[in-house]
Amino acid sequence: MAAIETSAPPVKGRAAGRPTVRRKRTVGQRLRHDWPLLLMSAPALAQLAVFFYWPSSWNIIAFMDYSAYRPFWDNPFVGFAWFERLFSDPYFVPALLNTLKFSALNLMFLFPLSIALALIMHSVVSTKVRSVFQSIVYLPYFFSWVLVVTIFVQVLGADGLVSNWLLGLGGDRLDIMSDPSTFTFLAWLQWAWKDAGWGMIIFLAALASINPSLYEAAAVDGAGRWKRMWHITIPGIRPVIVLLLILHIGNILTVGFEQYQLQRAAVGYQTTEVLDTFVYYRGIQDAAYSFGTAAGLFKGVIGLILILVANNVAHRLGEQGIYQKS
Amino acid sequence: MTTTAFRTKSRRSQRPAWDEEPSFAGKFVKAAFLICYAAAIVLPIWAVIATSFASESALQDAGGNLLLLPNDLSTQAYEQILGGGALTNSLIVTILLTVGGTAISMVLTIGAAYGLSRPGSLLHRPLLMLVLFTFLFGPGMYPSYLVVQQLGLLDSYWSLILPSALNAFNLIVLRAFFMNSVPGELIDAAKMDGAGELRILFRVVLPMSKAILAVIALFYAVGYWNIYFQAVLYTPGLETQPIQVVLQRMLMSTQGMPGADIGQYQAAEAAPTAALKMAVVVCTIVPIVIMYPFIQKHFTKAIITGAIKG
Repeated sequence: MAAIETSAPPVKGRAAGRPTVRRKRTVGQRLRHDWPLLLMSAPALAQLAVFFYWPSSWNIIAFMDYSAYRPFWDNPFVGFAWFERLFSDPYFVPALLNTLKFSALNLMFLFPLSIALALIMHSVVSTKVRSVFQSIVYLPYFFSWVLVVTIFVQVLGADGLVSNWLLGLGGDRLDIMSDPSTFTFLAWLQWAWKDAGWGMIIFLAALASINPSLYEAAAVDGAGRWKRMWHITIPGIRPVIVLLLILHIGNILTVGFEQYQLQRAAVGYQTTEVLDTFVYYRGIQDAAYSFGTAAGLFKGVIGLILILVANNVAHRLGEQGIYQKS
Repeated sequence: MTTTAFRTKSRRSQRPAWDEEPSFAGKFVKAAFLICYAAAIVLPIWAVIATSFASESALQDAGGNLLLLPNDLSTQAYEQILGGGALTNSLIVTILLTVGGTAISMVLTIGAAYGLSRPGSLLHRPLLMLVLFTFLFGPGMYPSYLVVQQLGLLDSYWSLILPSALNAFNLIVLRAFFMNSVPGELIDAAKMDGAGELRILFRVVLPMSKAILAVIALFYAVGYWNIYFQAVLYTPGLETQPIQVVLQRMLMSTQGMPGADIGQYQAAEAAPTAALKMAVVVCTIVPIVIMYPFIQKHFTKAIITGAIKG
């Protein structure tokens, strides 16, 4: 979500008020001047070093035949052998396909749902209705997956609310929560229930930044409701749409772990296995160090490539993307 | 007629003059959609709350897990949760995790957000790059697990806090706020008066950033409160698990399914009743609902600073 800015914004506030005479100082002088700042940043940077960069460098064992019982450098390098193993693994490719399937569903149906919700909300005139509705729809975003799945089981599960109504009406038990053929839809539904409202809020914030006089001018010129939406609203939120799209694409192999792990027992691993659960069950649970790391690294590298490519395409299309070219 | 008269009176809901009134059908469809959508969220939550207060007999009468309107109320489930025992311990642990974790996260985030926000300071650019790179790449689950293992933090509550203590997104948003919304003149003036960086941070910068700090703290708090995955990964052997794990085990135990890799729900209560389960659900929702108004009050601002920059 961050429009990551790598440089200080041009002439604004501090920069404008600063006296421009500034002699070049040596590193020692700067250190004497800036050490409190560095000290303040140190805890966070230490956290990143220990819990981001150190594990990142552990990825090297994806190219080794690693065993924890040998000194580190005694582990032989095996090139891409683990990746070859990965792609011939009978469970990996289905997990990858499942991941892509859930991701695609999210991208195709959840994203537009958020936009649609935002557009509808934006067209509601009464601020009271808006604030009540907003408060309701993005509340589930703050719920944990455990909570969401529990609520879904209670409502739509075999012993749940709806199932009992159907039984009371003489119908059949509802079994969509544990039926592999309906799980894909249900996973999407859970996702939508949890996150669509949050997406709506982000688009609403973007919509709020559109200058209202544009609408007025268009209306005066005779543009109707739909025309205004097409020519003002959509272009107005396009940068945000592109930004979120890039982030989504970069995360295409990340659909989360909890939602699928939680329903694995009920639905079966064939349907719920995604890359993260694969790494957990086939890597960590089996203590398959190099294999599990290779699976994770595959995911990380594809994510990195996708986000760079998507951003590049966005730049080419004249959009801002997630970072500015500088 | 009366509605339009009313509408012109209430200034808050006034439609701008150039905007034509939508057709009745359009309004109807819109209203129906919004009501259905809201109901899909409110009704399940309501049913959970209602069930948590249902007495055993009311539950048996209904023969179900979830009730919309129990005919007999009881607070037995809550007495069981709060009356000592495994569930109480779990709630206490989760509250401590949330408070402690949020405090640590805020120290890290504020420190780096300010430390990297001063223009021209030594190394701020490369250090910022180190932060930004975390957006592009993930180190992977297994390497992270190995590091936690090497640090000897497996089955320690620290492993639920430290590995996720810093959210780079929050750091960047806060830094942007410090740079753009705290007037540089104030900071320069404080410097002229001889104030050190720490003093400037506490006396000038932080008091001007209360709203965004509240939002970031609440996001961290919600994250710690909802901790589940890290507990499954790093602390499967802990006796007192975070509340989400306990809830998951209760859910599994009544679905008649073994909690696969996590082990069985170990509390004294053998088969939790629907009321007890739903009361745990309510206990996990309540803090979120309490925090919610604060998040709402301030966070659109935070989103606008973060997401719509430029």
